[in-house]
Amino acid sequence: MTDKKFEDLSAWMDGESSTGMIGETCNDKELSAKWRNYHLIRDGMRKELPAQLNFDISASVARAIENEPAILAPKKGLRDIPVIGSVVPLIRHSGQFAIAASVAAAMIIGVQQLNQPKPDQPFSSAPALQLPGMQAGGLSPVSLEQTRSLPRTDGIEQKRRISAYLNDHQRQMRLKAQKVERTGENKTDEEANQK
Amino acid sequence: MRKPIKNSMSCLRALMILLLVVGQPVSAQQQDGAERVAKAWLEKMAWSLRNLNYQISFVLLYPNGDFEPYTWRHALVADQEMEHLSMLNGPGREVVRVADKVSYFEPNVPPYSLQSEVINGPIPAELFRQPANLAKGYDFVMVGTSRVSGRLAQQLRIVSKDKSRYSYNLWLDKQTALILRLDMLNMQGEPLEQVQVTSMNVTAQPDEYFSRIEAEKMPQRIAPADRPSQNADWQFGWLPAGMMEVRRSTHRLPLTGQWVDYMMLSDGMVDVSVYLQKLDSDLAENGWLQQGANTLLSLQNGQMEITVVGKVPPQTASSIAKSISLSGRTSRD
Repeated sequence: MTDKKFEDLSAWMDGESSTGMIGETCNDKELSAKWRNYHLIRDGMRKELPAQLNFDISASVARAIENEPAILAPKKGLRDIPVIGSVVPLIRHSGQFAIAASVAAAMIIGVQQLNQPKPDQPFSSAPALQLPGMQAGGLSPVSLEQTRSLPRTDGIEQKRRISAYLNDHQRQMRLKAQKVERTGENKTDEEANQK
Repeated sequence: MRKPIKNSMSCLRALMILLLVVGQPVSAQQQDGAERVAKAWLEKMAWSLRNLNYQISFVLLYPNGDFEPYTWRHALVADQEMEHLSMLNGPGREVVRVADKVSYFEPNVPPYSLQSEVINGPIPAELFRQPANLAKGYDFVMVGTSRVSGRLAQQLRIVSKDKSRYSYNLWLDKQTALILRLDMLNMQGEPLEQVQVTSMNVTAQPDEYFSRIEAEKMPQRIAPADRPSQNADWQFGWLPAGMMEVRRSTHRLPLTGQWVDYMMLSDGMVDVSVYLQKLDSDLAENGWLQQGANTLLSLQNGQMEITVVGKVPPQTASSIAKSISLSGRTSRD
């Protein structure tokens, strides 16, 4: 009989038994010991044994639970006051939502930033100087979406003007260096002109 | 008692002064001393930037999360300075300087050259060339030592004397005094633009990149089509400390093609453009906006529209614009 039992257990463990044996194994001490041993053997054969073997965790856990002093009347906490008790989980949930939302927002912003074309570059998007054979005005306007979002009737014209000033400022900064270099010769001329 | 202290080691002096003058305001002499040290650091930086062979990678950061990585090379080849600034992201923009000729290679525009001894890049050029010129408008403060880009760094603060411009935090390499980090801070102390060096190589020999540059094959030098200003009758009633007029001309705006009277102000750290335009109609736009660190401010003065653009606080831009007096009618259309 016992041999039959062990055979069934072995078959079940190999996945060859149609009926489960969970209930029996749990109830039968001998069977569960065998079950544990079979697993140990199998792990050993497959070289899957852990570095350290703790043979009887279940027993020590059971002991630990037994030694735990029983709490008969749980201490009243903040949670147990009706209103706060219902608010606290709410806050916790909303906190989770806030985090989730901010992550989503960060992703959206990140995506937007990755996708949007570079706005004007600090040293170089300055438009061309009056190059020989080139028309002025062939440059894309500076993006100002961040500051003005509502399209108005004169919005485009305004944007154009703002871009023009910003672009020209960049361009003049390049030219400034050139001028500064020649101040020695030019200053006197300019001063003469001014007077 | 002061003389021997002054002549002894600086750390000893600092200690003595600390012991003697605890609780008192820091003496003017001490402040002068600190300022001199800060200026010496900046001079050393300027020398290193002109004379060393280096390759620096840095990232320009904006508070909105945008960033732009650059590589910056410099070499002294046969007593001639060569410099290369390359933007690493996007379609590629290259600026090459051979002595006093700066060549720009950019998409959509045929390459061209300008006469200049500096590349107008993300770092203020005057800071590199003649830091002494900044002293009129800015105070220099020694802050302390820290670690930046894996190197020991000396931190300095550059603060405008009349609090009318943004301030800077600058970190210099202890060994070479090359720049490691530069923060531009608004009046609240929040960063507007940050330059962070990520790697730095100082070599005895020039980078081989420069051996491939043929100075003769650089694009033609072009001259700007600006005319000298014909309306010399506008004046500033007030300018921030250390700021001067460096350029005055009359030219067309690039996109709209309108004629403007133009004046550039500079204090070495920032350049401010001031435009004067005759209004066609009454739709003047009084207002301002900020794009990154740049402020653009427009206001109406009689029949003229004054526009100020530059990396200055809006209040300063407004003060500059309001101080302009038009002592005479401009006749330009």
